[in-house]
Amino acid sequence: MARAERFVEADNAEAIITRIEHKSRKIESLLKQYKPVEALKTALEGTYAMTGDERCKSAHWIAVHRALMAIKDVDGMLSSLDPEYYDILMKYLYRGLATGDRPTCDQCLRIHEKLTEKAGLGCILRFLTDTVNTV
Amino acid sequence: MAVTAVHQLAQCITCHAWSADRSMVALCPNNSEVHIYRLVEDKWEKMHVLQKHDQLISGIDWSARSNKIVTASHDRNSYVWNLEGSEWVPTLVILRLNRAALCVQWSPKENKFAVGSGAKTVCICYYEQENNWWVSKLIRKRHDSSVTSVSWHPDNILVASTSTDGKCRIFSTFIKGVDAKDPKKESRFGELIVQLDLSPSWTFGVKWSPSGNTLAYVGHNSVIYFVDDVGPSPLAQNVVFRDLPLRDVLFVSEKMVIGVGYDCIPMVFAADERGIWSFIRYLGERKAVSSGSRYGSQFSEAFGKFYGQAKQGVSNDASETSRTRGVVHENCINSIIPLSRQGTQIRRFSTSGLDGKLVMWDLETEQDLLELLVH
Repeated sequence: MARAERFVEADNAEAIITRIEHKSRKIESLLKQYKPVEALKTALEGTYAMTGDERCKSAHWIAVHRALMAIKDVDGMLSSLDPEYYDILMKYLYRGLATGDRPTCDQCLRIHEKLTEKAGLGCILRFLTDTVNTV
Repeated sequence: MAVTAVHQLAQCITCHAWSADRSMVALCPNNSEVHIYRLVEDKWEKMHVLQKHDQLISGIDWSARSNKIVTASHDRNSYVWNLEGSEWVPTLVILRLNRAALCVQWSPKENKFAVGSGAKTVCICYYEQENNWWVSKLIRKRHDSSVTSVSWHPDNILVASTSTDGKCRIFSTFIKGVDAKDPKKESRFGELIVQLDLSPSWTFGVKWSPSGNTLAYVGHNSVIYFVDDVGPSPLAQNVVFRDLPLRDVLFVSEKMVIGVGYDCIPMVFAADERGIWSFIRYLGERKAVSSGSRYGSQFSEAFGKFYGQAKQGVSNDASETSRTRGVVHENCINSIIPLSRQGTQIRRFSTSGLDGKLVMWDLETEQDLLELLVH
């Protein structure tokens, strides 16, 4: 039951990168079918099991970023997203805000406001204090 | 309403403790003194002022049977106060610390007390009859950072401690001559029984359930951790909640915990028949604003600036009512103490906070919670 169990040691960086590429292709096809919410869910799934070095984190971020930028209906997306993904989404939002790129930041801010309303300040706190599982 | 009384006793209360009959309360008003108040008719009268410490008193505990008060302070000392006649007489306990003492608690049998300190140690003090003084034994091992809270297991031997290194540790404090030897549990003083590494952030407020089977503590990441069957293979659960972190918890029964913290309203957590813990509700109304931000005016201003950066202006409620924080406490609640016990259940408890208020709560009026308690 403990959160720590979800942090599974992945095999090696190459295997992780392959898995992320596979996920990216799935995300692309979902976006082509105008299903941005599904794409984001796919992007966020299994993130903990795939943490590795900086390369893996970058690859993962690119996939999540692609899905995030395609979201138009933020409220709809949040209402259909599983609450267990709130914390990981918050972490990616802050990573997006850290890029400083105008369109990314705009989108992330928009989602951040709604997510904070839904998930509360505790979600932000969990991002701030979690130095182990960074994205 | 669950609140039975609200008393403004100081500008800011660091910690408090009740006498055995609950007629007197000892508290530290954020300075180096302990004020003891007695409720005379309807007014609080300051009966004693205990002045011996040089710096902030971080912990007070009042033993029920032996009527002794133990205080721990940032001046690295601890005093045990005995009531002789009408005066409280202090006895210095040399803790041998080189950093502040942060928390203190009497053991269930009241023959020992534990002090957590910023020196990354836990001191276990016991009374030596021959020399008529309190001896301190240090548990030096293992802590990587300040010990924020300590709690005794009902068996008077095990102590759980939380620390700012994010871990909760359980030690044995078996002392030859003070504790009876238990053939089932062979343990040495200072032996680490279990180390729980569940939180990435500071941990506070550890407490044992009445039977000693379950442990609860809070992390600064707005999570509360419950550990069942503490031992070689513990069962841990973490309950994530949406608001600001907690500072202290209290087991009102084997299956219900009240948490208090930066949100200024107590939160109730309970375990269902399967043993799964979850957040039930707040104790008392939380004024929810209609739309937009739920938080106080300061927050909405900050959020307004934050979100105002976005190209598409987001609508934030400008007309924010001032206080959507706690109804009763106006600032962080930092301790929760039981007031009355019915068997192993606690129906009444008190909380004190940084706003200087001492609030008494009674669960008798909360029907839905009483039903959960009965199970």
